[in-house]
Amino acid sequence: MSTLRRVAGKLGGLLLTLFLASLLVFFSRFLVPGDPIRFLLRGRKPSPEAIADVTAQYGLNLPPWEQYVRWIAGVLHGDFGRSLQFRQDVTAVLGDRLPVTLMLVVMAGTIIAVVGLVGGTIAALNKGRASDRGILISLTVLGAIPSFVGSIVLIAIFSVQLGWFPSFGSGSGFWDMAYHLVLPSIALAIVFIVLVGKVTRSAMVEQLNREHVEVATSRGITRLAVVRRHVLRNALGPILTVSGVLVAGLIVASSIVEQAFGLSGIGSLLVGSVDRLDFPVVQAIVLLVVTAFVVVNAIIDILEPWIDPRSAAGVGAR
Amino acid sequence: MTRTRLSRVAAVGGALLIAATSLTACSGSAGGTSTGSAGADWKLTTTTAKPTGDIDSFSFALYAEPATLDYAYAFDYPDNQVLANVCESLLRLNPDYSLSPGLAKSFSNPDPLTWVYEIRDGVTFHDGTPLTAADAVASMQRIMDPSVGSAWFSVYQNVESITQTGPMEVTVKTKIPDSQFNQGMGGSAGVIESAATLAAKGKDYGNSTGGVNCTGPFSLTQWKSGESLSLERYDGYWDKDLRAKSAKMTFAIIPDATARVNAMKSGSVDGSWQIPMESAPQLQASGKGDVLYAPSSATSDLVISNVSGPLGDKRVRKALMMALDRPGILKGASQGIGEISDVLTTKLVWGTATDAAKKTAFDDITHYKQDVAAAKKLVEEAGATGKELVYVTAPIGNDFSVVSQATMAAAQSIGLKLTIKTVSPAQYTALFSDPSAREGVDLFYTVWYLSSPDALEMYGVLRTGDFSNYGGWSNAEFDKTVNEAVGTMDPAARSALTAKAQQIANEELPWLPLATGPLPLFLGKRITGLDPSMAFLYYPWAAQIGKR
Repeated sequence: MSTLRRVAGKLGGLLLTLFLASLLVFFSRFLVPGDPIRFLLRGRKPSPEAIADVTAQYGLNLPPWEQYVRWIAGVLHGDFGRSLQFRQDVTAVLGDRLPVTLMLVVMAGTIIAVVGLVGGTIAALNKGRASDRGILISLTVLGAIPSFVGSIVLIAIFSVQLGWFPSFGSGSGFWDMAYHLVLPSIALAIVFIVLVGKVTRSAMVEQLNREHVEVATSRGITRLAVVRRHVLRNALGPILTVSGVLVAGLIVASSIVEQAFGLSGIGSLLVGSVDRLDFPVVQAIVLLVVTAFVVVNAIIDILEPWIDPRSAAGVGAR
Repeated sequence: MTRTRLSRVAAVGGALLIAATSLTACSGSAGGTSTGSAGADWKLTTTTAKPTGDIDSFSFALYAEPATLDYAYAFDYPDNQVLANVCESLLRLNPDYSLSPGLAKSFSNPDPLTWVYEIRDGVTFHDGTPLTAADAVASMQRIMDPSVGSAWFSVYQNVESITQTGPMEVTVKTKIPDSQFNQGMGGSAGVIESAATLAAKGKDYGNSTGGVNCTGPFSLTQWKSGESLSLERYDGYWDKDLRAKSAKMTFAIIPDATARVNAMKSGSVDGSWQIPMESAPQLQASGKGDVLYAPSSATSDLVISNVSGPLGDKRVRKALMMALDRPGILKGASQGIGEISDVLTTKLVWGTATDAAKKTAFDDITHYKQDVAAAKKLVEEAGATGKELVYVTAPIGNDFSVVSQATMAAAQSIGLKLTIKTVSPAQYTALFSDPSAREGVDLFYTVWYLSSPDALEMYGVLRTGDFSNYGGWSNAEFDKTVNEAVGTMDPAARSALTAKAQQIANEELPWLPLATGPLPLFLGKRITGLDPSMAFLYYPWAAQIGKR
């Protein structure tokens, strides 16, 4: 079946992309100046035996390709090696921090989707009117606020002044964590809302001008039903594509927000690990982000025909 | 520890880098009691009011997560200030930087090559098991194990053997007489962990998975990676005087300086060591507690990393020293809080020295005054006018940029050409460990702290060929003096020799001392009791804290 073949093709492409990414992620560390062993021994006078011993413990005495084979074999078994800075399994280091980042990304993603879709839809339906311009301008202004500035402003107003939300930490337990992450997720979301909002607006405006919408309207179908069935659904394609791109952006941008709110997530871990030449952790995180990006986009590619059968038929936008 | 080099390197390497903002703060201070020469209003505080009673819990902010609580690796501000409350050493480094018996109830030095430690009876680890000499032997031998790669190896570099010579007695034999080994037993190098725990935890010992099982007034109950560490009073603690006055305490990890200051201003945390100097006024004004200045063992220095270049000529080093606007540096880098220093140590580490030695070390030295004209002449005499220097810095703290600009101005004013190379914090750290990173580099800035209560620790690292003698400076008389001091067991006699070494370093300027400053901390209004000191890295300070 062509669907099956298409899905298989996508999966093949996905695996190839991941393989190439793993090569890039692994070997790029050899371009970075600095000797991780020196860092591991923390810059003090080590005995030569200690250097040799520790080098062997971390497999750094092997040729690079052999290090890659060992690393990738480990990764396939869920073993990302040991962190140099924490002297702990990378999976444990990541496992402790992943929930915070995932929660943050999910909460920010929800805010972006809801505010972006609603804002974009309202703007599209009021195209050219004051509310359209108002929404466009406010989204653009919000989009121009860097996350770190947003974080500072939010903390100053809602934590320090009003005392409504904590200024740092991620709390314990699901609801407490959600509460702690309210401000961080807003800080993370505001930059991205404009993207989804604008794409929603323009995609819907385009659909609104189509003949089938005019036909539907002239047949006396309610405005709401027209928008829902004929406008929004047809506009979903570009919105989903943008959302796919956002996933990686959110994970990467979370580092800034995590730093500002003192959250222990993947983003702040990445920044700290790069600085300390903790390459096993850096490699694991980068691979994770790349994988998340590639997988999400593959899923969107695969789902698209079901949302919009025209794309499978190769008819394109028209 | 003949050459305790490590200490400061750590500071530099690890801490500084990461600490960025906080470090700015810690440009070290002499134990001096005067107010800053730049006129800022500050004074040293060495005690706070006794607590009125116990408290349920309090929290302190850390600027970074401890990399480890394994004493063999703990060599950074966050690691050591937590570890100090959980694990204890054979000797105890007190807030006044004196050494007193710790887990060893006594020690002796029957001959110059032998140190005998009598282990204290009735001490238990946090799991309830008793401390014995076997635990001490296992803990100490671990630092010498090459497969461990301990950061504190240099303390043990002259050690021949560590053996259990009785149920509660450990004997250490050294290859040469080494007065500094015992001085190091008050720090992480002297920490005693349960031998059974070391064996059971293996590679995960001391990380957030494995934890530690020591004898301190607090035990580690939870380590939430990247967020917080929770401690709980250990009821079986042996020392009644240092029984924890708080049932619990928490370290909150808040890397962002603004967030950290906000947490203190809003009362979410009760205190923090090494607060950013520039935040002191707003913290004091917040009404949530007090900003205090503790005596420090650190000085800020310019490390001369290449003696085959123009700075190999003593006259050029001296000229640069005379051209530097050090009062201006002090003002720009630490709000004028601190003092100019002409030597590489602070009075805090001269506790056991004789008055005569202190006079030699701090008064009978050259006090360098800014004199650009004379400096320029020295450069001309040396034939170095127009020569080029490379200065390496990194975006770490405000002090780094202030000092690099001041050095640039000084060099230009005396006819030297200085190029500033800005590298990443990681590359900057490499300067301290990797000789190839120092190639073509003439000088760089650092804040160097001492971990042992002996100024000799500083001068040990400047001997010919030492790992931390970054410039390869060599002076026969200096080496002879320092080596003699290392082999001198009597503190008074040793201090005289160390003072002589300090004089030579002051005259020869292997590194250029800039300033010393106090260690700033914030103590919230709910709590009191601690004795502020640089010894917070090794002394169980949190146990002192109770209700204000």
